[in-house]
Amino acid sequence: MNVTENMLNNISHIMLEGRFDADTPAIVEKIIREKIEKGVYRFILDMEKVLFVASAGLRVILVIAKDLRQHHGDLYIASLQTNVRRVFEISGLDNALHIFEDAEAAARNFDE
Amino acid sequence: MRQLLFEFPGNTAILEKVGNLAADAGRNAGFDDMEIGDIELAVDEICSNTIIHGLKRDPTRMFQLVIQWEKGFIEILVHEDGEPFNPAAVQPPDLTASVEERTIGGLGIFFVHKVMDEVEYHTDKDGIKTFRMSKRAKSNS
Repeated sequence: MNVTENMLNNISHIMLEGRFDADTPAIVEKIIREKIEKGVYRFILDMEKVLFVASAGLRVILVIAKDLRQHHGDLYIASLQTNVRRVFEISGLDNALHIFEDAEAAARNFDE
Repeated sequence: MRQLLFEFPGNTAILEKVGNLAADAGRNAGFDDMEIGDIELAVDEICSNTIIHGLKRDPTRMFQLVIQWEKGFIEILVHEDGEPFNPAAVQPPDLTASVEERTIGGLGIFFVHKVMDEVEYHTDKDGIKTFRMSKRAKSNS
């Protein structure tokens, strides 16, 4: 899993590339936690280049979204591939999380 | 029926390889793309559970993976002799809960039951645990 991060308008954009399964959550969580410690509470998780997600990946997303909402922030999900979206749907998390067509749409929603 | 037999260590780094093997077998058996995604998800979840809970992420301990298939059908078995684990005791997640109310666990086993047709689990007299799951292609192509 490759993870890249950049800040834009006080929103942290996290781009993932690869599989998001039990072998990878620690690195994603570490990068986001480091930003939270610096006072960043608005994140966009861009999953365009993620072709597989398992429950371990969803668990990290859920844990982080819970924490951020306690700080009046959030973790928005963007650009889900068909198979990945299906896993979100089976889990029911597609209703609980904010999922957007792409990162631009997610960023606009933070601004509103 | 075609059959492949593997032995893997208790290390989550092997999950990608396991997923690819199961997806290839599903493709050879004639499953469609969505069904292949389901098979890959199920095998990833079961092997993750085996590595994390059964083998405690110990790379010196091994588990066996058997993938067998024929046209329109796939069966996957995982054998290991690690720590006791009862998937039936795992509470199913509340799919309608909000992020704030949602509990963290139970999703992996839930996925397996959701996407596979048959799921079985047993421990033999020597303590070898076997997780067996199977799926039949909708189109049966």
